Amino acid sequence: MAPQTPAVVMDNGTGYSKLGFAGNDSPSFVFPTAIATRAGAGGAGAGSRPTVANKPSFLGSGGGGSSHLSTKRGTEDLDFFIGDEALAAASGPGYGINYPIRHGQIENWDQMERFWSNSIFKYLRVEPEDHYFLLTEPPLNPPENRENTAEIMFESFNCAGLYIAVQAVLALAASWTSSKVTDRSLTGTVIDSGDGVTHVIPVAEGYVIGSSIKSIPIAGRDITYFVQSLLRDRGEPDSSLKTAERVKEEYCYVCPDIVKEFARYDREPDRFLQHTVTSPNGRSVTIDVGYERFLAPEIFFNPEIYSSDFLTPLPNVVDGVIQSSPIDVRRGLYKNIVLSGGSTLYKDFGRRLQRDIRHLVEARIRASEARSGGARSGGLDVAVVTHKRQRHGPWFGGSLLGQTPEFRSYCHTKAEYDEIGPSIVRRFALLGGPGST
Amino acid sequence: MPAYHSIFLEDRDVPVIGNFPVLPLRTRTRGPAYTLPSLPPGADIDIQPDNESYDCVDEILSLFRANVLFRNFEINGPADRMLIYGTLFITECLGKVKPTMTVREAEKALTNVALDNFAIPGDASFPLNQAFEPPRDRQDAETLRSYLSQVRQEIAIRLLARLYPGGVGPSKFWLSFTKRKFMGKSF
Repeated sequence: MAPQTPAVVMDNGTGYSKLGFAGNDSPSFVFPTAIATRAGAGGAGAGSRPTVANKPSFLGSGGGGSSHLSTKRGTEDLDFFIGDEALAAASGPGYGINYPIRHGQIENWDQMERFWSNSIFKYLRVEPEDHYFLLTEPPLNPPENRENTAEIMFESFNCAGLYIAVQAVLALAASWTSSKVTDRSLTGTVIDSGDGVTHVIPVAEGYVIGSSIKSIPIAGRDITYFVQSLLRDRGEPDSSLKTAERVKEEYCYVCPDIVKEFARYDREPDRFLQHTVTSPNGRSVTIDVGYERFLAPEIFFNPEIYSSDFLTPLPNVVDGVIQSSPIDVRRGLYKNIVLSGGSTLYKDFGRRLQRDIRHLVEARIRASEARSGGARSGGLDVAVVTHKRQRHGPWFGGSLLGQTPEFRSYCHTKAEYDEIGPSIVRRFALLGGPGST
Repeated sequence: MPAYHSIFLEDRDVPVIGNFPVLPLRTRTRGPAYTLPSLPPGADIDIQPDNESYDCVDEILSLFRANVLFRNFEINGPADRMLIYGTLFITECLGKVKPTMTVREAEKALTNVALDNFAIPGDASFPLNQAFEPPRDRQDAETLRSYLSQVRQEIAIRLLARLYPGGVGPSKFWLSFTKRKFMGKSF
């Protein structure tokens, strides 16, 4: 095998799965991590009904070895769809939608196995024997889950080699594309904001500091809901969730100060925009887009305006996470705050975050200078890294590391798995860590 | 970053009635307030805080759209009570303006709200009596009432200019704040 086949990079998230090949700029496939199976989400009902229906034909055929097998494990196992096709199938009769990943972790292994098999054979169209696989896992994933993953990957798919990386570490690696990053260190704070939840994850030398991870119940979906409520308050002709999402994605940005921004809208009326919604039946309505442009992402910085039970602004959470990490890595964590995920893409998001965290840090330094009576602090560098690969950060980081020549030596191979067993995947050498190029 | 506070907190020697400040106003209505020099017409929409004529009503109107979104507000001094009072009064005014009203109708509605019988701190029907002290005696109460009346009229006049920029409106962007309740309270 002279030319090496590229590694397959699969990042299965709660909301979306990102699939592609190492070395590419963007994933080849991005679709919902959803699987539609026959006859609904209830597993028991799905099993019993086809058996009853099959019985007459089974008796009629006289019975044979093959038909006996087909009643035990019928073709209904193969009757499923994943991704966008799953959503389409579930909207019709006969199929029920399932989400095998919850809160970042795989909950239903049988469905996940089928999801992977379709991902590999139907979408990526690769022979697993010929490719190494790079999969991702959330921080604090139990080792048993890794073993299950390895079992499926090696025994069901017979893949050549496997590496499982932590998403936050890959997100750090993705930030190396930014021109601001000079040293390729794997120390930093990752702010990962997707659709359902926002995580703040400190990583030191490639290892996640599990005890300091914090999550915030405010993410993309909440911003959409907030946009929707603002559209409704104003009585816009269309305030569906879909429209709110479009408005959020197309027009929203982060402002430095909301009072000044309101005044700016008074002075410059052309900041008010219009958005045309065309419905499937060809009719189109125009709605106005106003203050939600900057108020919507503001809920990260002032959660109070949206939620009544979660009130801590994102900058304070980040500061708290770093302060609760070991003291010798804090400087590195402040210096490299990396954004990842779709909800961090608003214009000037990183800028505002950097400014607010800097204010918190400087206030603390001043207070401790005053307490110490005359001692001067050397200051602390706070930098938020914004880069072009934020949207699919973990996937891109995987693509970056998966194309390095030494990637294969970090993987566990099928032969090693056969030798030692699933426990082999409990440990992986640190990819991209010190000593690698 | 919590809700915005009044810049008039820094001003010393502001007379208070109970714990409500009697801040200077830029107004033509008669009353106990110290009167600031008036501005050329149309200049008050975009007045900056360093202008000598900048008064608490300008501040209330510029902070309204931001502060009304907040549910929690820490009172740092008498001037913040003026901010609360003004913010809640604007919400009351917005409730009276219907989207179909012309500028004349809205002006009439707003003047009526401003001049209507209203509760002052200490009255049983005043919703914020935990944070506002009642005036000491009847004379103080009368002064406070006429001062608040000045504030209310001034807010109503200037709010109208913002609701109907150039005489057209009302601006639906302002009216969208009608249902929000600052600190969960309303008059």
